[in-house]
Amino acid sequence: MEELKKKLKEQIIEALNLQDTKPEDIDDNAPLFGEGLGLDSIDSLELMVLLERQYGIKVEDPREGRKILQSVQSMAEFIQSKQQPA
Amino acid sequence: MKVKCYIQGMAAISPQSTFEGDIINMPLVRTESNRLACIEPDYKPYIPANSLRRMSRILKMGLTAALKCLAVSGVSTPGPIVTGTGKGSLQDTEKFIKEIEQYKETALNPTPFIQSTYNSVNGLIALQQQGTDYNNTFVHRGFSFENALIDSLMLLQEGYSHTLTGAFEEITPEHFYIKSRIGHWRADPVANIDLLNTNLPGTIAGEGSTFFVLGAKADANSIAALSACKLLYKPSAAQLTATLQELGSDADLIISGANGDSNHAHYYQLLQDVLPQPSIPFKHLSGEYDTAGAFALWLAASLLKAGSIPAELFPMVPQFPTDFKKIVIYNHFYGEQHTVMVVEKV
Amino acid sequence: MAERVFITGMGMVTAIGDNVAENLQHLRQQKSGLGFTDYIDTIYKQVLPVGEIKLSNKALFDKTGIPVQHGFTRTTLLGLAAMQEALQQAGISDVSATPTGFINASTVGGMCDTEKVYFDLINPDKEGDFIQSINTLDCADCTQRIADTIGFHDHIATISTACSSSANALMFGARMIKHGMYQRMVCGGTEALTRFTLNGFNSLKNVDKQFCRPFDNQRTGLNLGEGAAYLVLESESFARANNSTILAELSGYCNANEAFHPTSPSPEGDGAYAAMKNALAMSGRSLEEVQYVNVHGTATLNNDVSEGRALERLFGTKVPPFSSTKPFTGHTLAAAGAIEAIYSVLAIQNGIIFPNLNFSEKMEELSIIPVMELKEGVLIKNVISNSFGFGGNNASLVLSKYEG
Repeated sequence: MEELKKKLKEQIIEALNLQDTKPEDIDDNAPLFGEGLGLDSIDSLELMVLLERQYGIKVEDPREGRKILQSVQSMAEFIQSKQQPA
Repeated sequence: MKVKCYIQGMAAISPQSTFEGDIINMPLVRTESNRLACIEPDYKPYIPANSLRRMSRILKMGLTAALKCLAVSGVSTPGPIVTGTGKGSLQDTEKFIKEIEQYKETALNPTPFIQSTYNSVNGLIALQQQGTDYNNTFVHRGFSFENALIDSLMLLQEGYSHTLTGAFEEITPEHFYIKSRIGHWRADPVANIDLLNTNLPGTIAGEGSTFFVLGAKADANSIAALSACKLLYKPSAAQLTATLQELGSDADLIISGANGDSNHAHYYQLLQDVLPQPSIPFKHLSGEYDTAGAFALWLAASLLKAGSIPAELFPMVPQFPTDFKKIVIYNHFYGEQHTVMVVEKV
Repeated sequence: MAERVFITGMGMVTAIGDNVAENLQHLRQQKSGLGFTDYIDTIYKQVLPVGEIKLSNKALFDKTGIPVQHGFTRTTLLGLAAMQEALQQAGISDVSATPTGFINASTVGGMCDTEKVYFDLINPDKEGDFIQSINTLDCADCTQRIADTIGFHDHIATISTACSSSANALMFGARMIKHGMYQRMVCGGTEALTRFTLNGFNSLKNVDKQFCRPFDNQRTGLNLGEGAAYLVLESESFARANNSTILAELSGYCNANEAFHPTSPSPEGDGAYAAMKNALAMSGRSLEEVQYVNVHGTATLNNDVSEGRALERLFGTKVPPFSSTKPFTGHTLAAAGAIEAIYSVLAIQNGIIFPNLNFSEKMEELSIIPVMELKEGVLIKNVISNSFGFGGNNASLVLSKYEG
């Protein structure tokens, strides 16, 4: 899980071109949108593209997307739940 | 349209050092390839990092020229924002076409699509400056910027005190290649200062982002006055002659769009025959592009403000008029869209 | 005092008809043009419904009387078909007899055809006739080919402000008339479906797999469409001297920017509110005098909240009957403003209000619902037509009954 979160942070920084941000600057539970990293709705679409391209997970409903993309923690949990079906 | 307006501020990003410099001390940037690229400024002072990270090249050039123009003109709100661009963000258009193919229409990043929209620069200017007035984008090759001017002149007549009016264009390596296939550019590399000494098919490509704050009334800050802007679509020689005579017979200086392209040089020959006054070119500075007319207007206003013509920038011109108050700009884009602007000292 | 601007001719082609009369007939019969594409090469062929005009390019060449040739894209051909009808209806056989400007609107020019040969265009190993299509990519191409075919040689321009493009073309033309620059202008827009735009809107996750449901609580997005529409605008003095048949008046308009977000409207509809309010103020009509609003109503989550809130803010508890005609035609982007301006004139001429198809459940954010059934025999004197787009570009038009 920690490995996944670290990798995810690197991927987020690259996908969104967050030039002055380092992976350790991103708190696992900090909100990605609004305050926190200050991302917006276009970033959220780009993060859904990231999930699809890197992890093969398709998020169809933007309303569902908003819940998944709350924080690095929530994204990682979602990825893990998809990769290891209960 | 023959209504006077005043240039209250301007900014240009171009293949020359126009963004920071003062025209009198500006060095001539000499080029050897047929694709002139803009000297891009540091964008950080103009655009917040969080916005900058997603923006493609022409969006940064467009927005930054607009912001600097507003800053130097001292207006607090942009008022109406009217622009022209022939091609919009080519980089984003190319990227999205390729990603559709590469990813087989799935998992596509929306950013290049959003930014390929021709009015995206206008939207960004409005967003960053909270400009909630009229907002329009013209996309008609060599009439793009000039239509934006006509629109702005009408807006000033309708009661707005000022407008933010500009143009932006980029040339990508890929689009340069595409247009080379229909002979837009010289077959062999030519130095920009030699462009007009040779009469061969094709010219050199350029790009630029140029903005103006136009005001309805003259004041101490006025740089120059724009007193006419006329568009002629595929005119006959007689129509063009009549327009040039009407607007230009008492001009002191002509700025000619001559670009060394033998396919369309006869129009510039006609210009010389009808208006034999002293003349200077500008395409060796800007290259050829849809909205190069905006660069020509920037040049005319800069020269009127300076009161003299720096010989350094025009090595091909043997001598210059010492006193000039009225400049006529004539330009055409590949023989189809012809434009005449009259710029006067305030 | 600036002159009034009258509409004296209209022409259109959409997924519900190849001319104005067919459009009216299918609006009356509540017959939607949405379905699957026959002409676009996409993996979404059987997935995403579109409003496609069921005429192949060959059929469009025949319809417009042009010999089949390279360089005439679908965007151009659709535009020509609509233009020919508009001029015919206005009784204009030679546009050059009176100086006449042409203001066109396009969002992606000839992308519909260029995207099919783009990889050949950039490949030095490929040669062929496709090279003649190189210039068709930009937005001016369709405008100039239409102008040259018809014989326009006065003022021409192409506007691209996303989904409000042709509303802005009408506004620009009307203003040129009011400034005395021209007595007659032909304005509108043309848009062909492309793989580029379909994937673009799909990447924004706002395309519905079902037929779009504007103002419905369960809506999930828009359906794209294609079409073209042009309106002949004349100054009052010219229209009278020329004895033109006056179909309606373009009595008000406003273009306002929202300065909120690159693609999304503000939740309270500030831009939509300003555009409608100012357009109505210009027309000199009061809120009570508006009998119908042809809303932008794309059925995206954001648009309908924003536009609905703007209607409630402007009209309070007395929001006039309103409907989106996008479930008939799909969202035709650059052509939408002109197509819906014609629908607004048809509403006035025929005393009818078109239903907002596919509506069933009120939106939780709003207290208003659109018109669900065709209404006939209604006295309609003033219609507001909305077109809102990317980049915060909002445009509203007011179309009014001509009463002398």
